[in-house]
This record gives sequence, structure tokens and C-alpha cells, in this order.
Amino acid sequence: MLKKMIYPTRKALLSKIFFPILFAQCVLFNYGLEAKVNCKKILEAKKEIIEKLGAFLPSSIEGWKASEEDNLYDPETIFSYIDGAGEVYRSYNFRWLLVRRYEKENFPPIIVDFFDMGRSENAFGVFTHDLEGDRVPIGQDGLYKGGWLAFWKGRFYVSIYSEAETETTKKIILALGEKIAKAIPEEGQRPHILDYLPSNWEKSQARYFRTLPILNYHFFVSTENWLELDETTQALLAHRLAENKRKTYLLLIEYPDEARAQRAIKKFLDNYLPEAKESGTARTENGLWEGARVYQNIGLLVFAASSSEEIEEIFKDVLIKIKEKKNQRS
Amino acid sequence: MREQKGISRRDFLRFALMTPFALNYSPWLSPVQTDQTRSKVVLIRHPDVVDDRRKVKPQIFREMLDEALKVLLEAPNADEAWKKIIKPEDVVGIKSNVWSYLPTGREVEEVIKDRVLSCGVSEERIGVDDRGVLRNKIFRQATALINVRPIRTHYWSGIGGCLKNLITFAPDPSAYHPDTCADLALLWNNPLIKGKVRLNILLMLTPLFHGVGPHHFNEKYVWPYKGILLSQDPVAVDSIGVLILQAKRREFFGEERPLQPPAHHIIYAETRHRLGIANPQRIDLIKLGWSEGSLI
Repeated sequence: MLKKMIYPTRKALLSKIFFPILFAQCVLFNYGLEAKVNCKKILEAKKEIIEKLGAFLPSSIEGWKASEEDNLYDPETIFSYIDGAGEVYRSYNFRWLLVRRYEKENFPPIIVDFFDMGRSENAFGVFTHDLEGDRVPIGQDGLYKGGWLAFWKGRFYVSIYSEAETETTKKIILALGEKIAKAIPEEGQRPHILDYLPSNWEKSQARYFRTLPILNYHFFVSTENWLELDETTQALLAHRLAENKRKTYLLLIEYPDEARAQRAIKKFLDNYLPEAKESGTARTENGLWEGARVYQNIGLLVFAASSSEEIEEIFKDVLIKIKEKKNQRS
Repeated sequence: MREQKGISRRDFLRFALMTPFALNYSPWLSPVQTDQTRSKVVLIRHPDVVDDRRKVKPQIFREMLDEALKVLLEAPNADEAWKKIIKPEDVVGIKSNVWSYLPTGREVEEVIKDRVLSCGVSEERIGVDDRGVLRNKIFRQATALINVRPIRTHYWSGIGGCLKNLITFAPDPSAYHPDTCADLALLWNNPLIKGKVRLNILLMLTPLFHGVGPHHFNEKYVWPYKGILLSQDPVAVDSIGVLILQAKRREFFGEERPLQPPAHHIIYAETRHRLGIANPQRIDLIKLGWSEGSLI
């Protein structure tokens, strides 16, 4: 017995030591092989995406040459490139970001960030996130400000940036933008919620988004998501100037269905504007008026209006637009 | 039905009745605050600390740092002040920032390292790092940290200051992104950090007060403030930094232009996490040196 414990039998050797080791080796070998194959597949897929997206960008322009290999980022890896700013692009469901750097001796580099946003609404939305700058006729909407050009076309959002602005870099940035915009063959649709904005609201300054952090980024409402904003909703925030540079804000939210719109607006009123009761409007601490209402699957909210009558007027204007557009569509 | 409340615009509006700064800065909404009652921050400025190309002059920077630390710690001289926070047996990590457009910079790092050496710490026990801190043996073994970075507006957290500078200690930094980085102060519970930060140096040499686009940098929005903020309280130092940035934005744009998004992680660092003092009314700000255009 003792001998058996110290010197295992051939059968025990095979069953308890040799076969398990062999099995483990096979698993590891296969796993390694599978990992290698997967890794190769990923690299090939990545290469294919780089080639596909890179085809929209010229390899050189007026002596500026693409200086190194293009870099590709996805929603997981974007933070290694642009830190927390990546959250904005993630909020708009970006798929891929291709980065190409152009260089020319004695000039600051020019960086093209080429975002595949998956859908044109998302490309438009992320464009509306930064609306500072002068409008330029590049892409479907373009803005230029101090060495930075941004535009969107189709499902793509493009940012072209130089650390220091000179007359030359400005010229190159705009030329590069035009070239890239032309290379994108198709235009994309703007979100239809834009059509619900009455004409006395500045459309070109409206922000389109889906999530609460982006709403709060532009106009802080609450840390609580009473309005139930998420990937399934579409929202538009617009403003217009009132007296003394004061701004009145209009927020439109399209929900997937009417029941959800009713629930979210009720939750908002109960928590944010409990004084509103049945009317849906109330005067807040700063003497201005705020209110919310639901029409079918759309939530309408007004902030910082001068009176409840003004809010009613705004609601009326929006409802006319909604009905008009919905009729056109049907 | 009313639900558990976070912070809403109504809270801001209510607070605006009490102070004209509410909408520019932030409300002190929660009764829960740190056990500390006050914090001390020193601001020191010198007209020649940076040249026209934003390059730091090490000798002047060193004199400013020494003077500010002496006053902050109420020490008889700078050497004594440094010895109050760094002991010869310490392993010291100097947590820098390498953001390419506005880094802490080698000159600043060298001055601080030299001061740590002067406290009797041997060179092999001093490390300077940013993105590699988790792999850096010195930072893993550090008994003391010096937290130094330039202030700047930030695309997602409102500002990048001393509170945020330790984000590279987090294995997954994006875990701190919800609600535009509201709970960054939680970082300071990390065992590699907790209780080890002896000094926070918020560089106000050439701050960035505004930014657009994914890269959030433009020379146009950098100005030579030529100052340093120093405190042992990371919340207080960031809070004063925000007031200066806000003042610059007001001056530059000619109107109120609140930070976007608001840097509420600083408020929460006091009200939720009790890490330090954010309320400017409870911060003793000591101003030294050049005063022209100090904005505060």
C-alpha cells in the first residue's frame, strides 16, 4: 500500500498525470492557436477599416504629407487618444475614429480626426456639440475657428486641427476640408426633430443629442434622469434671446412611444416643477417661468420664459409645426 | 411621485437668491461637509516666471515655490518648510502631467525634484511620472506624493486640476466619467494615494481658460497669468483655480460664460466625499508677489 502511494501504478500515471497534462497542453495549444487566429482576423479587419476610411483623405495636399501611419480608435480605445472628450463621441455612438497627421517642414502639424458616426443623425448631432466659430460652406454644415475646422457630411464628422493658426495653415485646413467633403459621396439626413422648431428659434444654434450628460453639458437641468433620456430618445435644445441678453430655452424630446413620453414628463414635473400642478407651468425662484407638456410621443419643455403666456405661445407654435410635419410625412 | 433628488437647476436658482456667484460657480447644497472647517491656499505670482514662448525660468519658479511653501506651512524658511512635508526616509512620487499642449514641464519637475533631494531623499527613491504611475515601482512604493499640474478647462470634467491629476492611478479611468466626472474625489481613496499627497501645486503659469473641438486647445485661450497655487487641500486649490478661470472667461468674453460642463466634481469632493473645502468662503487665500491682473 505504502509502495502504491509512493510509486504510482502505470494506470494511475496515465490517468492522473499524463492524460491531464496532455489535455491541458491541447487546450492551451488550441486556445493559443485560436487567439492567434482571432488576433490576425482583428488586425486584418482593422486594416480594412483603415483603408476604407483612409480612402476619403488625400495622402498629401500642397506639400503637406501624411507623416505616419493612420491610427484607428474605437469606443473603447478613444480615451487613449483624446482623454475624457471621448465621452462626447461615445454619447453619439461613434463607430470608428481614423486619425491622420499631415506635416510640412517649418509648419505646425495638421491633424485630421475622421469619425464614422454610423448614422447621419449622429454625425449632425456631434457637430452641434461645438457651435463656436464662423460658418463655412464645407460639408453639410461647417464651422471654422482659430485653426480648427469641423464639418459633417453623410455619416461622417470631421475635425481638422492645427495647434497654431497662420494664414497658410488656415488655407490648407480649408482646402483639406473641401477635398475630404468632396470625397464623401452622399449627403445624410438631418434629424426630423429639427423640423418641429418654429421659425423664431435659431436653428443653426440648436443642439441635437440623445443622453442626459449632453443635455446637462449645454443646459444644466438635473443630475437625475427624470426625463428618461437615453439612446432611444432624440432631443433638441434651442434658445432665443430675450431682454438683457437673457436666453429662453426650448427642449424637445421625441420618445419611442406616447406612454413613455407621458411618464417622463410627469416624472419631471413632479420632481422639478411640483408647483406646476395641472397647468404644467410655474414661476421659479428667479421670477421667470418654466413648463412642460406632452403631445403624442413628444415632450415639450420651456425654461426661463418671461410669463406663462409666453410658454403657452411657444407650445402652440411647436404643436402647429409638429402637426404640419407629421401630416406631411403621413 | 417625487423621487430621491440629486441636484437640479432649481437648486441653483434657489441659491442664486442668496449669492450672486451661484450661477457662475456652484451651490453648497448639501449640509454634509468635510470635518475640516477651513483650508489655506497660497497664490504667488511673478511677472518674469515664464518667457514669451511659455518657457519656465527655473530659478524664479524655485524662489516662488519656496516662498509660497514657507508661507503655507508657516515655517521660518523654505528649507524647514520642505522638511515639514518630506522626510529623508520617504519614497517620493512627483505626479506630473504630460498633456502635450500644456504639460507640467521638465523645468518645473526638476525644481521640485531638487527640493525633494534637499530634504535628504536619495535620488533612487524619487520618481516623476504621469501615465506610467501604475507600472512605476517608486509610485507603487511611495510614502509621499507631490501632485503638480497646470490648470486647464477640460472637455468632460469642466477643468483639469489637482483632483483630476491622479486619474492615471485608476486602472480604468473611464470608470470616473459618469455625470461628467462628478465623483473624481473617489480616486483619492485609492491605497496608492490615500494619505500620501503632501502637497498640491496647481500651476497657473499659462492657464488654458477655454477650448473647442476634440483637442480642446488653442493658443488664443492661453494667457500668461504667471502664478502658482499651493495647498495641502486638493479641493481648495482647485476651487480657487476655477474662480480665476471664471474671472478670465468673464473678462475675455465680456459676459458670464460658465464652464462647460460645470466643474461640479470640486463641489462633490466636499459635499459628498468630504475630501476638502470647496466653498471659497471657507478658504483662506494668501496672495503673494505680483498683483497686476490677479483677477481674484
